[in-house]
Amino acid sequence: MDPIITEEAVNHNVPTPEILSQAKVISSQTLLLVSLLLAVLLAVGFFAVRKRSQSKGSSLLLVGPSGGGKTAILSTLVYKRTLRTHSSMQTNMASIALPPSTKSLRIVDVPGHPRIFDQFREYMPDAKAVAFVVDASTISRNGAVVAEHLHRVLHVLISLPPSQSPPAFAIVAHKCDALKASASATAEQLAINRVRTVLERELDKRRTSHAGGVGVESLGGEGDEGTDLGGLECTGNGEFRFAEWEGGEVSFFGTSVAVGKAVPAEDEKGKDGLAPFREWLLEL
Amino acid sequence: MLDHCSISHRGGIVLWSRSFTPAAEQTASSSSSPVNSLIRDALIEGRNAENKYEKDGYAVKWTFVNNLELIFVVAYQRILQLTYVDELLEALKALFVQLFQPFLSTFVASLHVSSTGKVAAVNTATTWDFTKIFEKWDRLFDDVLRGLENKAAQERKSRLKHTSIHPETAIDTILPSDADDVVPSDSGATTVDEEQIARNVQALKNRLKARGRPIAGGRRRLEAGSGRDSLPTSDSDTPTKQKSKKSKTKAQRKWGDEAPTESDMASLDFSYVDVPSPNTPAKVADVTALVDQSSLGIVKDGIYEVKDWEFASTSESSSSVLTQALHKGKEEKSSAGLLSNVFARLTGSKVLTQDDLKPVLEGMKQHLMKKNVAKEIADKVCEGVSESLVGKKVGSFQSTSSAFRQALSSSLTQILTPKTSTDLLLSIRTKLSSHFPSSQQREPYSITFVGVNGVGKSTNLSKVCFWLVQNGLRVLIAACDTFRSGAVEQLRVHVRNLSMLGVGPNGATDSKGRVELYEKGYGKDAAGIAKEAISFARDNDFDVVLIDTAGRMQDNEPLMRALAKLVSTNNPDKILFVGEALVGNEAVDQLKKFDRALRDFSSASGTGKERGIDGMIVTKWDTVDDKVGAALSMTYVTGQPIVFVGCGQTYTDLRQLRVSNVVQAILSD
Repeated sequence: MDPIITEEAVNHNVPTPEILSQAKVISSQTLLLVSLLLAVLLAVGFFAVRKRSQSKGSSLLLVGPSGGGKTAILSTLVYKRTLRTHSSMQTNMASIALPPSTKSLRIVDVPGHPRIFDQFREYMPDAKAVAFVVDASTISRNGAVVAEHLHRVLHVLISLPPSQSPPAFAIVAHKCDALKASASATAEQLAINRVRTVLERELDKRRTSHAGGVGVESLGGEGDEGTDLGGLECTGNGEFRFAEWEGGEVSFFGTSVAVGKAVPAEDEKGKDGLAPFREWLLEL
Repeated sequence: MLDHCSISHRGGIVLWSRSFTPAAEQTASSSSSPVNSLIRDALIEGRNAENKYEKDGYAVKWTFVNNLELIFVVAYQRILQLTYVDELLEALKALFVQLFQPFLSTFVASLHVSSTGKVAAVNTATTWDFTKIFEKWDRLFDDVLRGLENKAAQERKSRLKHTSIHPETAIDTILPSDADDVVPSDSGATTVDEEQIARNVQALKNRLKARGRPIAGGRRRLEAGSGRDSLPTSDSDTPTKQKSKKSKTKAQRKWGDEAPTESDMASLDFSYVDVPSPNTPAKVADVTALVDQSSLGIVKDGIYEVKDWEFASTSESSSSVLTQALHKGKEEKSSAGLLSNVFARLTGSKVLTQDDLKPVLEGMKQHLMKKNVAKEIADKVCEGVSESLVGKKVGSFQSTSSAFRQALSSSLTQILTPKTSTDLLLSIRTKLSSHFPSSQQREPYSITFVGVNGVGKSTNLSKVCFWLVQNGLRVLIAACDTFRSGAVEQLRVHVRNLSMLGVGPNGATDSKGRVELYEKGYGKDAAGIAKEAISFARDNDFDVVLIDTAGRMQDNEPLMRALAKLVSTNNPDKILFVGEALVGNEAVDQLKKFDRALRDFSSASGTGKERGIDGMIVTKWDTVDDKVGAALSMTYVTGQPIVFVGCGQTYTDLRQLRVSNVVQAILSD
C-alpha cells in the first residue's frame, strides 16, 4: 500500500503547489495510520509465529543404542502387548492415546544401529520428549558405547535453536526385570543407580578427553557435524553429573516389559513395568 | 532341518517366528541371534544383494516384501545343504502376503504416523491381537515346509541312487547295532540329529541290500499304478515315490511344533519301498490308495510346484482359504492390464518392478564406477538398493531414477557412517587412564600402520604423530620398515622436524623429547623391533607408539605372514590400513587380503583372538577431486571406518571424513 500512496502524493505535489500541504497532511495521516496498522499486524503475526514455534512438539522420541528395548516399549504402548522384536532397520512412528486424558502422542522409535542412529536429528524439531532407552542389564559392559550415543543426544539437545522449547529428557533404564532386587532397593532403583553411575563416569571420561584436545578438522570446511561434540557442560565443579547438567532436568526411570504378554487391563495398571514411564508421559 | 524362521517388519517387530531347536530358541531373544546379526551386519550395511549370510555356524537366507516392509528370514545349520530354502521363502512370502494383506496394511500404516490426530481412530478400530490373527498361519507353515522338505528329500534320494556306492561294511561299522529300534523320544536337538543320521544310514543300507532287485520293485509298483504310462526303468521310481510319500504326509496332518519322532519317521521313510518281503502288502495298499486320488493330474510330471502342492495337501478349511487367496492373487495379476497401469502412473501409485529399475540400475553402476568405486562394490551396492526398492510405490512427481538416487544416497550414507567410534584421542586417553592406578608402569597405546608400497604410510604416520603431539601426548615412533633403504632416515627426518615443531598446549619448553624414534637399522626382524619399542616406551613413559611397517603387496605371502606375526606378537590397540584414494578395483583385493591374512595368521598363532583391520587412512585425497569412490569401496569391504584422510604435503593436512560430503561427491554428475 505504501508505494501507491507516496506515488499519489508525488503525482499531486509536483504540478500544483497549493494542494501540496493538504496532500502532505493526508499522506502523513494515512502513513501514520497505515504504519500503526502494519505494526499491529506485524506484532500479531510475530506472536503467532513465535507461539507456533514455541509450542512444544508432539512426539516422544525413543533413542538409544541397539538392543535397548525401544521397539518393545513402542509395541507395548501402541499395541498393548509386547511383541518379540529384533534389531530395527527403519524408524517406527506410531501414535498412542494416553488413557485417562484425551491426549494422543506420536512415538518415534529410531533404530540404535550406529550407522543409522543419527536419523534422530530429523525428528528433533518435533520432539516433545526424548527418552534415552538403555539396557540396564548390560550397561556395565557397554558403558563406553552407550555413553557415546548419549553424548550425541545430549549434544543435539543442548544445541537446539532457542526458538524451540527444550523437550523433556529422560533416561530409561530398561529390562529391570533382569536385575535382582536387593534388600535395600528394588530392581528399578538398582537399575537406575547403576545406569546413572556408569553413564556419569563414562561421560566424564569423554568430557575430560575432549577438554584441551585439538581435534582434527573435518574435510570440507566448517560444520560441527560429528567432530567436536559439546553438550557436557555442568554447572558444578566440572565433573559430569546429570543433576548439574546445563541442558535441563534429566529424569530417570526403571522399566521392564515381558515379551509375549498382553498388558494387564486398565484397572490394574500398577503392575505394568512401564507404569512410571507412562506417568511421566502423562505429565508432559 | 531348519533352525529358525521368522516373519517381521523392517521396524523390528516380529510378527511370527518359530524356533525348531532349543538352542535356536535360546538365542532367538538375545542380541546374538542369527536374525539380529543378519540385520546388523548385512542388511543395514547395504549388503543385501548377497543372498546368503553366515554366522556362528548358521546360514541365513532372507527375502523382502517391500511394499509391506516385511522381511522373511530362515536360518539353518550351515553344514546342511538345504536346497529348498529359497523356494520356501518365496512360498511363505506369497502365502503370507495374500492371506494377511489387509491386516498387514493397517499394521504398517500404524507404524507410519505423521500426525497424531486421525490415528487414534485407527488404533481403536483395530484390535491388535497378533496371536489370534496369525493362529492359522502355524498350520499353513507346517504344510508348506513339510511339502518342500519331502520334495527335497525325494530329489536327494533319486540323486543319491545314481551316485553313491559305499561299501556296505563301512556303513555297518558306522551303524549302531540297535539303530533299527531307536526309542521314539521327545523333541530335542541332539535326538533329532541322531535319528536323522540313523535314518539316513538305515536308508542307505536298505538300498544297498535291495540293490539286486530294483527292477522288480519298480515293476510291482507299476502294476499297482496301472493307470499311468511310465516306463519300467529306474527313473520311473521318482514320480511313484513322490505319490506314496504324498499320501503318507496326508495322513500325518497333526505335525506340531515338536520335531519328528521315530514313529513319524518310520511312516515317512519310504526307503522301505525297496525292502522286499515284509513291507510288500502295505506298499501295494498305499499305491492303490494313491490311484484313487483326484490330484493325479497335477503330479503327473513329477514336478511339484509349491502352490499346487498346497492346493492338494492342506486340510479342508485352510485349503479353501488358500485357494481363495491364490485365485484372488492370480485374478488381480491378470486384470492388472494396461489401463490400470496407466491409471496407476497418473495417480502416482506406481509400484516399481525389477524391469523398471533395470535401466536405472545399469546407469547408476556406470556412474559409480566413473567415480572410482570398484566394480564389484558398485554392483553390490546398486543391487542392494534395487532389492529394497522393488515393490515400493513411487510418488506421482518422482521418477524412477530420482527414487533410486534417493535410496542410493541413504544407502551410501549408511555404509560410510562409522559403526565404531573413530575418536582416537578418547580411546588413547581411556587406555592410559585405565592402567594408571593399578600398576606403576602404564601400557602405551600402540598403533600399527599397514598397507601396500608407496601409499604414504610413513608420511601419514608423521601427520598422525603431529596431531598427537599437539594433544600433549608423548609419541614413540618405531621404525619397523627394515627393508626399504632410506625408510629409517625418512622417519628420522620427520622426528627431527616434529620435535622442533611440536609445540603442545603446555608450551614450548615441554616439547623436548615429545617425539622420539626407536630404530634398529635394516634387515632385522620387524616384530622384534616393535616389541622392543613398546617395552622401551613403557619404561620411558611414552603415551603412544606408532609402528611403521614396510609396504608389501597383498599377494606376497611370506611378507603377509611376517606382518601377521608382528601384529600377533605385539597386539597393537589399533591396526590402521593405509590406502590411497587413487586406487580403483584394486582396493577390494588389497583390503580383503590384508584383512584375511591378519585374521588367518593371528588366529592360527595361538592368541585365540582374530585381529583384523580396525580402521583406514585414505591418502592422496587431494589428487582425486570428486572421484572419491575408493572411500566407499574400502568401507564396504571391511565395514570399518575411515579414521583419517590425508590431503596434502604438510603435517596439518590430516582430516576427518565427512560422510555427507563424500556421498554428495559420489552422487554428483
